[in-house]
Amino acid sequence: MLTRSKSADGGKVVVWDLPTRLFHWLLAGMFAVAWFTHEDDRYLDVHVFAGYVFFGLLLFRMLWGFVGGYYARFREFGYRWTNARDYLRATLRGPSRRYLGHNPAGSWVVFLMLGLGLAISFTGMFVLGAEERHGPFAGAFSFAHATLFHLLHEASAVGLLVVVAFHLTGVAYESWRHRENLAGAMVTGRKRGPGVDAVIFRGVGALLLAGVAVSAIVQFAGHVRATPEKPYLPFTGPTLPDSALWRAECGSCHLAFHPTLLPLRSWEALLAGQRDHFGDDLALDAATLAGLRDFYTPNAAESALTEAAWKTDRSIPPGETPLRITETEYWKRKHRDISQRTWERDPVRTKANCAACHLDAEQGTFEDAAMRPPGPQTDQSRPKTR
Amino acid sequence: MKPFPNAIFLAALLASGVAAAADVVDERLAAYKARGAGGFSAAAGKALWNKSFPDPKGGEPQSCASCHTSNLSEPGKHVETGKVIEPMKPAVNPKRLTDAKRIEKWFLRNCKRILGRECTAQEKGDFLVFVRN
Ligand code: HEC
Ligand code: HEC
Repeated sequence: MLTRSKSADGGKVVVWDLPTRLFHWLLAGMFAVAWFTHEDDRYLDVHVFAGYVFFGLLLFRMLWGFVGGYYARFREFGYRWTNARDYLRATLRGPSRRYLGHNPAGSWVVFLMLGLGLAISFTGMFVLGAEERHGPFAGAFSFAHATLFHLLHEASAVGLLVVVAFHLTGVAYESWRHRENLAGAMVTGRKRGPGVDAVIFRGVGALLLAGVAVSAIVQFAGHVRATPEKPYLPFTGPTLPDSALWRAECGSCHLAFHPTLLPLRSWEALLAGQRDHFGDDLALDAATLAGLRDFYTPNAAESALTEAAWKTDRSIPPGETPLRITETEYWKRKHRDISQRTWERDPVRTKANCAACHLDAEQGTFEDAAMRPPGPQTDQSRPKTR
Repeated sequence: MKPFPNAIFLAALLASGVAAAADVVDERLAAYKARGAGGFSAAAGKALWNKSFPDPKGGEPQSCASCHTSNLSEPGKHVETGKVIEPMKPAVNPKRLTDAKRIEKWFLRNCKRILGRECTAQEKGDFLVFVRN
């Protein structure tokens, strides 16, 4: 048996074992971190890390529901829906029976939170796989699915927030009704008896904490080692096809824009007009033009090699042939919050100077987490994201 | 660490770059002479390098130095795109002036852009002796 019997009349009883308490507070913390980092693409790595820890904690809790401390086991609080309903009614009428572990209504909230937590985790990994091409589902879905997953991810997160509100209301109400500090009990693990003491499982708790700490160190070590010359990119995108000829011919006056940034018809038009390229005569010979064409044709935006490629291509009306990346609808939408002053001043100077803000502009991946727009020393307005 | 052999290697590389540049430049100058130009002067090249021409796009007047700066040993910066341009002087940047086709391609592009027309054989010769020095 994992539990010991003790009749501790009036004394304190161990109810929440250490791993359950750690799980509870870490889960709440990770949810908060993920919530506050979801708006800004620059913190995507923090958001994703919080999400993975959140998911790992849920998996741990599922296991713990079978092998954990007495009150942490699902068997102990697997109440029927009718029990929960009756309990809720009784509670609203007046003081009802006091439960040492989860009460029937609370247990339903717990299961709801576990379920929503898993939904958030999976939809999150789906978005990551479909939109950013990272994680366990990288490349498993098309970009077309990403929008739906995104919606489901946000909906389940809002859903969990609502359930958390119920949970907090319940905790406050029950604490008042039974004259005890339920939140404090989730810290100390102890509640007023009489009852059966649960095993504390200190070792498992320490392991859980160590696991989270080590993964945090592994995840964020790159930030500490980064220097201004060698900035750290938390996500490195897929390695895109490259061409030395393209870099030599198209990378001398400006960044060698990756072909994924414009549709094929735009590259055809740009190269057809190469004798007057934004005021420059590129004077490329036929052999060079053919070599360039061999590179951009399979890798143009239609290839959907990156999120930007997919979205850029879809944002251009079929009848239009933009000659600038900076004139595509997708590009304009993504950059509309950047002030005119930022564009005109150093170190940006022109919209086409992608590398001034995107650390991975040379590679062409344009990862969310690789954005470093100039800070407040050059501009007051920090662009809002998404 | 073996700083000494590295230094030799670097010096050799620089020297070979400069040597390659010298060969290619001499060959170019001969070609310009064949077209009637001659008496190339670094001073004339320098004057033209720093001379401003009106910008056909309506911006500030531009010269070669707008992007390359007037110090050939320093890196420059494309005025329009902000892209860093490596130094022009072969002694500093051994890759410069080593490929006749490249030289002509960039003369064509940049003369058209700054002067608004192709450069004459005389102007190109003056530029080359200026940059080579
Ligand atoms: C001689 C210099 C030069 C070379 C070589 C050159 N470009 Fe450009 N390119 C420019 C200039 C100047 C602009 C305008 C920049 C601006 O408005 O900020 C430009 C703009 C562009 C733009 C539009 C950027 C935007 O605003 O979205 C694209 C696309 C482009 N170039 C593609 C190419 C390709 C492809 C090649 C190779 C075949 C190439 N360029 C080679 C000078 C050059
Ligand atoms: C002044 C800084 C700046 C410059 C210059 C700039 N960008 Fe951006 N870019 C941003 C910011 C900030 C965002 C984030 C916008 C958001 O997430 O809503 C962004 C977002 C993007 C995205 C979307 C990334 C994603 O997955 O959400 C793409 C693609 C992109 N930029 C491409 C480019 C290209 C191509 C150029 C050059 C032609 C360029 N950017 C120039 C600041 C800049």
